[in-house]
Amino acid sequence: MARIQIDNLSKHYAGGQLAAVQTFSLDIADNRFVTLLGPSGCGKTTTLRLIAGYLKPDTGTIQVDGTVVSSPEGVTPPDKRGMGMVFQNYAVWPHKTVFENVSFGLMIRRLGSAEIRTKVMAMLDLVGLQGYEDRLPSQLSGGQQQRVALARSLVVEPGILLLDEPLSNLDAKLRERMRSELKQIQRRTGITFVYVTHDQSEALALSDEIAVMHLGVLQQYGSPRDIYSRPANRVVADFMGQVNFVPGRVVGTGEARGRVALDGGPQLPVDVPAGMAHGDAVDVAIRPENIRLGAAGSGNGASMPARVAELTFLGNMNEYVVAGANEARLRVQTHPTVLFGVGDSVALEFDPRQCTVFGRQAG
Amino acid sequence: MVTIAAPATLARPKTGGIRLEHIVMGGAIASLIVLVVLPLASLILGSVSSEDEGFSVGNFVRAMERPLYYRALINSLVLGAWTGLFSLLIGLPLAWAVSRTNTPFKGFIRLTASLSYLTPPFLTAIAFVNLFGPNAGLINAALRSAGLDFLTFNIFSMAGLVVVTVLHTFPFVYLLATSALESVDASYEESAQILGAGKWRTALQITAPLVAPAVLSGTLLAFVNAIALFGSQAIVGIPGRIYTLPTRIYALFDYPPQYGLASALSLIFVAITVIALFLQRGYLARRSYVTLGGKGSRPQLIDLGPFRWVMFGFTVVVFLVAIAAPYASLIGVSFIKSVGLWSWENVTLQHYRFVLFQYDVTQRAIGNSLLLAALAASLAVLIGAIIGWIDLRTQLTGRRFLDYASLIPLGLPGIVMAVALIQFWLATPFALYGTIAILLLAYTGRYIPLGVRAANASLRQVDSSLEESAHILGASWLQTMRHITLPLIRPGLFAGWLLVFVPAIQELSASILLFSSSSITVAVAIFNLYETGYIEPVSALANINMIIIGVAILIANRLGGQRATTSD
Ligand SMILES: Nc1ncnc2c1ncn2[C@@H]1O[C@H](COP(=O)(O)OP(=O)(O)OP(=O)(O)O)[C@@H](O)[C@H]1O
Ligand SMILES: [Mg+2]
Repeated sequence: MARIQIDNLSKHYAGGQLAAVQTFSLDIADNRFVTLLGPSGCGKTTTLRLIAGYLKPDTGTIQVDGTVVSSPEGVTPPDKRGMGMVFQNYAVWPHKTVFENVSFGLMIRRLGSAEIRTKVMAMLDLVGLQGYEDRLPSQLSGGQQQRVALARSLVVEPGILLLDEPLSNLDAKLRERMRSELKQIQRRTGITFVYVTHDQSEALALSDEIAVMHLGVLQQYGSPRDIYSRPANRVVADFMGQVNFVPGRVVGTGEARGRVALDGGPQLPVDVPAGMAHGDAVDVAIRPENIRLGAAGSGNGASMPARVAELTFLGNMNEYVVAGANEARLRVQTHPTVLFGVGDSVALEFDPRQCTVFGRQAG
Repeated sequence: MVTIAAPATLARPKTGGIRLEHIVMGGAIASLIVLVVLPLASLILGSVSSEDEGFSVGNFVRAMERPLYYRALINSLVLGAWTGLFSLLIGLPLAWAVSRTNTPFKGFIRLTASLSYLTPPFLTAIAFVNLFGPNAGLINAALRSAGLDFLTFNIFSMAGLVVVTVLHTFPFVYLLATSALESVDASYEESAQILGAGKWRTALQITAPLVAPAVLSGTLLAFVNAIALFGSQAIVGIPGRIYTLPTRIYALFDYPPQYGLASALSLIFVAITVIALFLQRGYLARRSYVTLGGKGSRPQLIDLGPFRWVMFGFTVVVFLVAIAAPYASLIGVSFIKSVGLWSWENVTLQHYRFVLFQYDVTQRAIGNSLLLAALAASLAVLIGAIIGWIDLRTQLTGRRFLDYASLIPLGLPGIVMAVALIQFWLATPFALYGTIAILLLAYTGRYIPLGVRAANASLRQVDSSLEESAHILGASWLQTMRHITLPLIRPGLFAGWLLVFVPAIQELSASILLFSSSSITVAVAIFNLYETGYIEPVSALANINMIIIGVAILIANRLGGQRATTSD
């Protein structure tokens, strides 16, 4: 319901020593589910708290629907922003019942008690907590508390909802369910969600757009598919799940697609980044599931010979570690029925459409 | 299904103006400055200036040259050292018995320690004068008539002073040692035992070093408190011609008052206190690794065998000396027509009638004491809560300084606080000296550290996200305080209130310099009555005082307990 424009934002801690967020720019369109994704300590919470108005930026501005709400000169306080926030630890008030927690924001807005009751009950319905309104938080499970926190933020109908790793404390099953509930709620309400997580599968499952952060710097902003299969740099490629970096050399540029010859392997028709010349050393990033494993000699010549070094059975797949040219180790995932023994000679086939080329030195 | 209303207030770009929280914070800072910083500053100024020469260190030179003054200093140090040592010798075994052994009747040990702490030391002193006064002391007289002259004990001596003081200060060692012993994780000891160390050896080589910092810190606290007690030092020390810093400073206010010298002596006093507290904090900081022990499984209790009855006997002795004997003497004397005649016909209520209805000071004093203690406790906790909140929840520059400033009163013995306030307010156009207001300032200032500490401890329990989530829902600072923060920290604040109220209602060290006939307090009234020599009414008033304290604690506990539960 609101557009957030973040422009050139920076925030330092420890007297300027530590840059928690650096020259961060992001344009979040109305109605979107956007995820801030990155490893622990990369500045996700800091960014979220900057958006909420708990922190004052060192440089840069944040605009909501075209109005500047944060700048180094001043910050609209959180209570005047009309946002909602779900905290990592839920922050459900322990001295208030479920009803009192959820109705608090409405009470602050001076709604009539009949109206409050209707809205709260509808919201408790939505999050599946009907019948729990008189319980104290200490009488709720972690997942229920989390839903109270969610209901409390949603009931005031914020234009923007900020969520800081709200699912991190739940067990796998409940997490799964809450994910789809969150997604549905976002669709139904049209609230702009800014969601923080360090779990890439969660980000992929939920988001319209993902912003990948590393060491306080935005690395890439795009759709989950883009981020996963077209990582902008090694950091993103690495963070978004397992990836192999296969060394090679540029052998063709200029055409619609360039060509890269893998060391000790085939030539692949791939996109070569602009500015690369014939003969440049590169690394080709390819995910384990995009490498085909076949018997030695198969794969019509466009394959790389390798030897199976390790095999792990993971239930829904087999994970191999194979030694390719120059004993370079590659990780390969196959259907569980594709079975080779340790020491077997195999042939690796690469899907060129799933490859991303990075210069050897540059990131 | 949920309709969205665009927030109407979003257009306000900046905070800009002053919000309520700034005013409240400013108020707390200002009161801290008026209560503590300015009086201390004028104390320092007063000590280095003299009427004729302007700036001079003459006051300090005189204080260190004249035997009159440096003996007081030495006496204070000697008293503090002996008191510290004996507090350790009594407090540590009791703590160990309670937390680590199978000594029976542990509740009795705890009771003994708390009652000893709660009993105003000047009452203990009066009671011991009743018992061990060189001529009229009941026990001394009894011993003499039994021909056991060599067993008599003159309370008006350094030894007497140490005894009276220790009975109030050993609980400091006891409390810190118990909490340290109880927080040592059992796994430390168990891992020593599995390596083959016996129980006693483990106690000596593992447990003792772990709790030593806490024990030392308790001993230093005993030292600091011991040397600051005006009442017992006046009642027991002055008749024995043992002057200490508080009593010497007090004497300097006899006409003509020597403010400069009193200030210099006060600052020397402060220096000693601050050094001791500095060491104490250092030891306490080292204690932290004790509590880092992990899940805190309970240590096994040592089976003392028959020796546990020795420990119990030791507790009984402490109880007899610290509680039973003084209270028995105060109660006994208060119901007797005249000391020395022991028979049923001699039992009377006349002393109670006298102090309650004929001695016109008493009722005023009781009213003043209750009013002062309640107000001071409320103010100290209020200011403490705001200062603790600033320290923990804001980015205000200088908030560390604020935190330190709020701790200053710990280093100011009561009588020094009084000297500082007199110096400061006499220099202003406000005629506060002699009013009840200056007593309120003294009490509030003295006990601010307790308020800050209580608020700090309870605020730390409340994650800041609980407040932040109210803010983002649109709650203003005041609404957040009212609905979230205060309800959550109320039990802690209430404990802090009681922690201030109890010592405030028996405050003597500062009151003795600040009171006037209209602002007199119960403690001062008892002290004055004692000075006139009528021991029976003094005992009656002392008992009334204890009843007031007891009832106040009961009511406060009841109220506090109720509020904490019904509101949820
Ligand atoms: N109040 C603070 N004072 C000093 N440094 C801080 C403060 N808060 C965060 N930092 C530092 O700023 C950096 C970014 O912190 P932030 O909390 O934004 O990380 P995060 O991405 O949310 O990490 P996590 O996934 O672990 O929650 C970290 O290096 C952190 O140590
Ligand atoms: Mg975080």
